[in-house]
Amino acid sequence: MMNAIIEKINAALADAERRLAAAATPAEVEQLRIELIGRNGLFPALSKEMGSVPAEERRETGAAFNAGRTRIQEWLEAAVQRLAATPAESMAKMDLTLPGRRWRTGHKHPISIVIDECVAIFRRMGFIVADGPEIESVYHNFDALNTPPDHPSRDPQDTFYFADGRILRSQTSPVQIRVMESQEPPVRIVAPGRVYRRDTPDATHGMNFHQIEGLYIDRDVSMSDLKSVLQSFAVEMFGPKAKIRLRPHFFPFTEPSVEYDFSCIMCEGKGCPVCKNSGYIEIAGAGMVDPNVLRNVGYDPEVWSGFAFGMGIERLAMLRYRIGDLRYLYENDVRFLGQF
Amino acid sequence: MKISRNWLAQYVTIDCDLDTLCDKLTMAGIEVEAVETSHRVPPGVVVAKIIERAPHTGSDHLSVCRVFDGKQELQIVCGAPNCDAGKTVPLATIGTVFHSPEGDFVIKKSKLRGVESFGMLCSGRELGLSSDHNGLLILDDALEAGTPLETLYPGDSCIEVEVTPNRPDWLSHWGVARDVACLLNAEARLPELSLPPTVPAPENLVTVEEPELCPRYIGRIIRGVKIGESPDWLKERLTSVGLRPINNVVDVTNFILMELGQPLHAFDLDLLAGGRVVVRRARDGESIVTLDGGRRELSPANLVIADAEKPMALAGVMGGEYSGVSDKTVNILLESAIFQPSSIRATSRALEIASDSSYRYERGVDYDMADYASDRAAQLIMEVAGGKAVTVKVDVTPGRPEPRKIPCRFERIRKLIGVAVPDETMVDIFRRLRLEVSDWADGRCVVTAPLFRLDLEREADLAEEVARINGLGAIPIHPVVGKLVSSISDDAYWKYQQLRDELIGYGLYECMHYSMVSGKSALSDTRFTVNDLVVLKNPLSSELAYMRPSLLGEMLGTIERNVSRRNLNLQLFELGRVFCANPELYPEERHECCIVLTGQKQPERYSTELELKYDFYDLKGLLESWLERRGIVHYCFAPVEDARFEPGTAAAVLVNNRVIGHLGQLPTALTRSWRTQNAVFAALLDVDQLLAVKPRSIYYRALSQFPAVSRDVAFVADVGLEHATVTEFIRRAGLKHLESIELFDIFTDDKVLGPGRKSMAYKLTFRHAERTLTDAEVNAAFDKLRARLERELKVELR
Repeated sequence: MMNAIIEKINAALADAERRLAAAATPAEVEQLRIELIGRNGLFPALSKEMGSVPAEERRETGAAFNAGRTRIQEWLEAAVQRLAATPAESMAKMDLTLPGRRWRTGHKHPISIVIDECVAIFRRMGFIVADGPEIESVYHNFDALNTPPDHPSRDPQDTFYFADGRILRSQTSPVQIRVMESQEPPVRIVAPGRVYRRDTPDATHGMNFHQIEGLYIDRDVSMSDLKSVLQSFAVEMFGPKAKIRLRPHFFPFTEPSVEYDFSCIMCEGKGCPVCKNSGYIEIAGAGMVDPNVLRNVGYDPEVWSGFAFGMGIERLAMLRYRIGDLRYLYENDVRFLGQF
Repeated sequence: MKISRNWLAQYVTIDCDLDTLCDKLTMAGIEVEAVETSHRVPPGVVVAKIIERAPHTGSDHLSVCRVFDGKQELQIVCGAPNCDAGKTVPLATIGTVFHSPEGDFVIKKSKLRGVESFGMLCSGRELGLSSDHNGLLILDDALEAGTPLETLYPGDSCIEVEVTPNRPDWLSHWGVARDVACLLNAEARLPELSLPPTVPAPENLVTVEEPELCPRYIGRIIRGVKIGESPDWLKERLTSVGLRPINNVVDVTNFILMELGQPLHAFDLDLLAGGRVVVRRARDGESIVTLDGGRRELSPANLVIADAEKPMALAGVMGGEYSGVSDKTVNILLESAIFQPSSIRATSRALEIASDSSYRYERGVDYDMADYASDRAAQLIMEVAGGKAVTVKVDVTPGRPEPRKIPCRFERIRKLIGVAVPDETMVDIFRRLRLEVSDWADGRCVVTAPLFRLDLEREADLAEEVARINGLGAIPIHPVVGKLVSSISDDAYWKYQQLRDELIGYGLYECMHYSMVSGKSALSDTRFTVNDLVVLKNPLSSELAYMRPSLLGEMLGTIERNVSRRNLNLQLFELGRVFCANPELYPEERHECCIVLTGQKQPERYSTELELKYDFYDLKGLLESWLERRGIVHYCFAPVEDARFEPGTAAAVLVNNRVIGHLGQLPTALTRSWRTQNAVFAALLDVDQLLAVKPRSIYYRALSQFPAVSRDVAFVADVGLEHATVTEFIRRAGLKHLESIELFDIFTDDKVLGPGRKSMAYKLTFRHAERTLTDAEVNAAFDKLRARLERELKVELR
């Protein structure tokens, strides 16, 4: 059964459909919205007429009213969206090739980037960072590390001395001693920091450079643990294909001692100028802490064992970023710093 | 240390190629640093048969030969007198390249006096095989034509290895051969001795006054030698490891040094007063002219080999010029001795002379080898220098040192290296390394180290041998177990890392400078006088004698460097350690932070933004933001006199009433000299003090659900009226529901406002936590405030 209200609704829907299809501006859509569902529009008016509808028709009329209003709203919505999607006049005039207004970001120094990465990798493996003074005693830098009294590294040719007999630490290893002196095992630390050697600055040397040292002391620590930690580090630092290789070596403070190489990050071990066709890049030294060192800090070598390793941060940074000259790292040209 | 592959092969059979050998050496700890392979004869030279010889019609000394090279017959023009038919000779075929210092010489098809020649027949000298140039090198007739001459005279490879200081036993071919034998599971053998019968030696030939410094001295005399050139084989050995042949006797001593690692010295016996040697300390005032021609003043710290009167050699370091072997030498005294390493090292360092001998003595020489070396050298000298008689050895020694016995627990070694190497394998490794194994039972044994293995003292040293020979590649890798033994709050790096990340977040570029600086750089931070500086005793140069007391000096250098490269827009910081010798001023080591801003703020943007340049308030604002972000609320800035900054621009940063740093504009006189018109602003903060400030705790504050109402007030006031006075006045006025006071405009304009006047404009925001404020109540409060500002602060409302 069709009453007057339903007829008006149907007529309004037909009219709206036609006009919305033809609408070209948001203003036309808005005009229709006001006519139909605005405060003084058709639907509010019809709503007032509902009272006069006979009781038996009320249900059907109400349903038609609600359905009609919902549809109008949907159509209006769709029309608004359609028109909004059309490029406005101002858009057509936009020059997308103009540079955006850049948001400045700061830049971390490549040495800091590498230290932070190393530290993050080792923290995940349960190491925390320890630190020590850079003006260090000969005892901590050499004696306690089992360095023989006439070892060449103690020579004033190689190490910086102060008048009071102290030195600038030539390695981060004295931090090992300081930590072991101040705490009972187990110990699991890394020590990044600045170290000093009496080298005239050139492409691969500086008066100071940075190392990161690692030390793990516990019961039953083995070379297998050392190798595993270094292998995990290589993978985290240089990607899943990175491999390590240990070679026997000699350091006074470890026994057995090794040097470790990473598979060349440039050629993945195939051989290239960077690795001098060996497929490997020499990184640094490591080994099982020498029983004499453990004894020097009051640890019983029959109970405790452990490993230590070190590596040069500048070397890692230069490899990672293919920086050919170490001096750029200390020159602080903003065109350099801005690249990292 | 240079090792010749051919020489090495004299002592051990090397049944692998060069690459494999080098790899094995490296992986056993004898790191191969470089390999240089030399051809003895150029590739292209082959064995050839002369079929026919005919005279050259255009020359009376040339012949025209028909020669078979194994494939074809060739016509060759030859100038040698001995190019007879039927001879087997070397032929350099077309394309063969001879290298010489004058340049490369390529064999080409050529015409000699009108006759074509297709190659060159060679003399021994032309091939570099001997010095003979009188005729062609005549080869064995049994050789097949076409055989490359290289196979008859194989080339050699010089393997340069890095020997670690703990393994002086690797400083010889024999020493390396011992390890190669172990690695290749082969046997290493020393040459058999065949010394002629010896004659007695004179009494008192050797006197050792310092047995502590010279635990063994073997002397012997060889009479009737004829000094001359060494035979080719000997010269070749020496040149193969980069040594220059000198004469037959000296060459033998050098050969033994490289063969056995035992330094030897040969004295001209007839020049030794008393015909004998005394091993003693030098006396004060004595001197010696060493073989290198230098005069050395000696002291009792130096051990010398003297004759009855004066020093004749610096023991273990270098011989004396006077008593050395010369062309006239007939009788020699041959020394094969052991010296104490530290004594040799001290003399070598003090007198600044090093030699192949001192290098080995400093590290340690095998006590047992001195004996064999003396015999072998005597035998070779008799062979190559034609000695008439050799005496017995006079061996002066307090006795053979006791070899070390090292208890070894197999399980401990397995635990340390993390590889399940069976007991038997370990014992096998020890034995292959010539270590003696005894008392092998119950998982233990005793290992006796031979005297050449000075590095073996403890179980850990044996573990290294097992790990090394068993292969470090065999050590298994497992997932890392991250045992947490400390708290992250103990981490020494975390807090500095955060500071740096924050400053980078504000757009600053991180710098790093060397810690060693010049006096000028150090003192450019006027907080310090020269007495406050930490001074190096042995600086790299007098220019770099100080530890930086401040980050400022080097940062100024960086600004200048950047500006000179026309990098005019800088926002930099450094966070690093600085050093101070004056404990009343600062601790010896502390952390400082230096921040610098200069130039355009937005150089990469365009239009009006390009005009924005950093000023004092940018730096102040950066510090304010940073401090607040770090939860520091009680901070303020106070004007100070500070010579580091342009007068009137310096301020101290105070937190909880303690100065934690300073900021200001760098002196324009300084910055102008850098060719920049931009003002440069810098701050220096004491990082350790900054980190010591306890940040405020953060507790959530409820947000009002009701709208804010704001009112603006603008006025003209004396330029001397400070912002803080205004805000303080407004706060004290006690306006109800006042939420915030914000400065939104400030300017001076003499024309509009009059001189000495400035305009300030503030936005006041009001809000109630539980209801919407009405215009009426806000207006009432605001109007009252305006009246009070005008009356009490004496401002002119706009």
